[in-house]
Amino acid sequence: MDILTGFGQGLLVALEPVNLLYCFIGVFLGTFIGVLPGIGSMAAISMLLPLTFHLDPTAALVMIAGVYYGAEYGGSIASVLMNIPGTPSSSITCIDGYPMARDGRAGIALFASAVASFGGGLIGMVVMAVLAPALASLALNFGPTEYFAVILLGLVAASAVSNGSPVKGIAMVVAGLMLGTVGVDITTGAERFTMGIPEMRDGVHLVIVAMGLFGVGELIVSIRANAAGAHQNAIDYARFYPSRKEWKAMAGPVWRGAGIGSFFGALPGTGQTVASAVAYAVEKKLSPNRANFGKGAIEGVAVPEAANNSATQTAFIPTLTLGVPGSASMALVIGALMMYGIVPGPRLLVDHSDLFWGLVASFLIGNVLLLILNIPMIGLWVRLLQIPYRYMYPTIIVLICVGVYSVNNNVFDIWLTLAFGWAGYLMRLFRFEPAPFLIGFVLGPMMEEQLRRAMLLSRGDASVFLTRPISGTLIAATVLLLAWSLFAAMKARRAGRPALALSDE
Amino acid sequence: MRDFLRRLRRSGETARPPHAWLGALGGLALLALSTVFVIGGLELGTGTPRRLGTGAFPVITGLALAILSLAVIAGDLRDSSEAERPDWISFAAIGAALAIFALSVGRIGLVPGVFLATVTASLPDPSLKFPGKAALGAVVALGCWGLFIGLIGLPFKPFAWN
Repeated sequence: MDILTGFGQGLLVALEPVNLLYCFIGVFLGTFIGVLPGIGSMAAISMLLPLTFHLDPTAALVMIAGVYYGAEYGGSIASVLMNIPGTPSSSITCIDGYPMARDGRAGIALFASAVASFGGGLIGMVVMAVLAPALASLALNFGPTEYFAVILLGLVAASAVSNGSPVKGIAMVVAGLMLGTVGVDITTGAERFTMGIPEMRDGVHLVIVAMGLFGVGELIVSIRANAAGAHQNAIDYARFYPSRKEWKAMAGPVWRGAGIGSFFGALPGTGQTVASAVAYAVEKKLSPNRANFGKGAIEGVAVPEAANNSATQTAFIPTLTLGVPGSASMALVIGALMMYGIVPGPRLLVDHSDLFWGLVASFLIGNVLLLILNIPMIGLWVRLLQIPYRYMYPTIIVLICVGVYSVNNNVFDIWLTLAFGWAGYLMRLFRFEPAPFLIGFVLGPMMEEQLRRAMLLSRGDASVFLTRPISGTLIAATVLLLAWSLFAAMKARRAGRPALALSDE
Repeated sequence: MRDFLRRLRRSGETARPPHAWLGALGGLALLALSTVFVIGGLELGTGTPRRLGTGAFPVITGLALAILSLAVIAGDLRDSSEAERPDWISFAAIGAALAIFALSVGRIGLVPGVFLATVTASLPDPSLKFPGKAALGAVVALGCWGLFIGLIGLPFKPFAWN
């Protein structure tokens, strides 16, 4: 099936009223939660995941994708208005967005951010539509050895290129892999680490881990952060539309940002934050207006937003075609698909082409919705930001409780969420990143299965991972990446600064 | 109670110990976890290289985590930066809210469970007085009733005595 036929078929799927409705709900709720300071797309997807359980897989995936990029866009609203990034990737938008707001140009900054997100999203969608089928057809030749190597590379990439210490990142991934073994072993039927609790036989539910680590954990952190004074300055929202000169200034940065974002989004482990930061740095070097960067340059808002949103779309390429998520949000997408019995990987495009192309087409519709939803609704988001946080966080915690309880109607799940919530807070206190833990947890069972299969097929010869060309290359890439990240961390430690303050959810 | 909370809040503002101890504590927790998985995995049986047993993957990952946690402890003990400031009040209040919801939703129903959980979660914020917390609890409880039972139709009992 060629790309245009596939896209046409996808458009028909995405335009079905039910998918359109869930795309709208996803984008709206994602933006709503993403606007709240300190609560990112990860928490937004975790909180809303139970709502998708009653839907068919396509509608569920369309809604989750809508929540994802809605939350990413919502994050930039808090960045521009309050200098508090709603998501880690929108922290770059603060650099010029907030000075624009202080300068009385908040409306223009928000408009520029919406338009740049739209442009970036569209370019990311085209890149995904072109690249994903090519990568999937290559991956169709993969056996268990190659899959194991791809998963290993994905895990190392996601943990090593995270915030601070790569050793801690990898430790978190391994801890996540271990948690993934809890429950009944599907090969032998033996129970593992269930402590005799019947509810643990099926393992720990993804929603519980995600809601605990990200929903509850982030919320505990955000209470003090928001009480410390997330006060808004007096800002003039009267002017929304950029002048002709400003439109012209935005065009180049949107293209460049989208190009850089598409590239980084497709790489496992880097994601939107790295994409935004690199795009901003490149633009600052290229722009004729570079002197105004950091002081309220419209290019400084457009470029990270375009990069961020295009990376959001292309992050689906390795997730759907290889089954390897580049970030914790994508790990949740994989987990959600597996709940429906759909295994992400190269067969997805063959066996569920309507779902894949429906999702690609929904990106187009979702981005249009994001644009038409956000320009008239900027006032609503502004008012939402003015609601005191003391009313917001108790409401959010109750929504988490009800969301978790609704999965199985079982209070044991709430106790587990409490345990993971406390663990998530303690992880942050001990400076461990929870995101690699979740990626390890989602990929753990898959990795174990591929390892067992590969060992069985090679009659117990572990050297097969190195001798087969694709897996050997991937393992070599993993070792190089690991060595590079450890070297970078050591160099940074000597210089007295964090290794890479660029983590993604 | 209010005095106690105020004192507890102030105690968090005093000088903080270096991160080294907290970091090492995190590393020790991981080491303990890895020990549990290695011992448990060995008891389950690791099988042969050709047919990996039920316990093989937990043992492999457990050993990897044990080595990594030693590296974490060694790295963090050399960290002289200031520790993060813990917010134990919010930690306890949010935990209590979840616990109260878990204890009450099956026994007395969704509406009272949500009310109690909301009030408990709002306790760390001194700027909202008790009548305000109660009013917030009532609004959220009624909202959840309308949204989850009325609109979405989830099979929850609004009141357990219904």
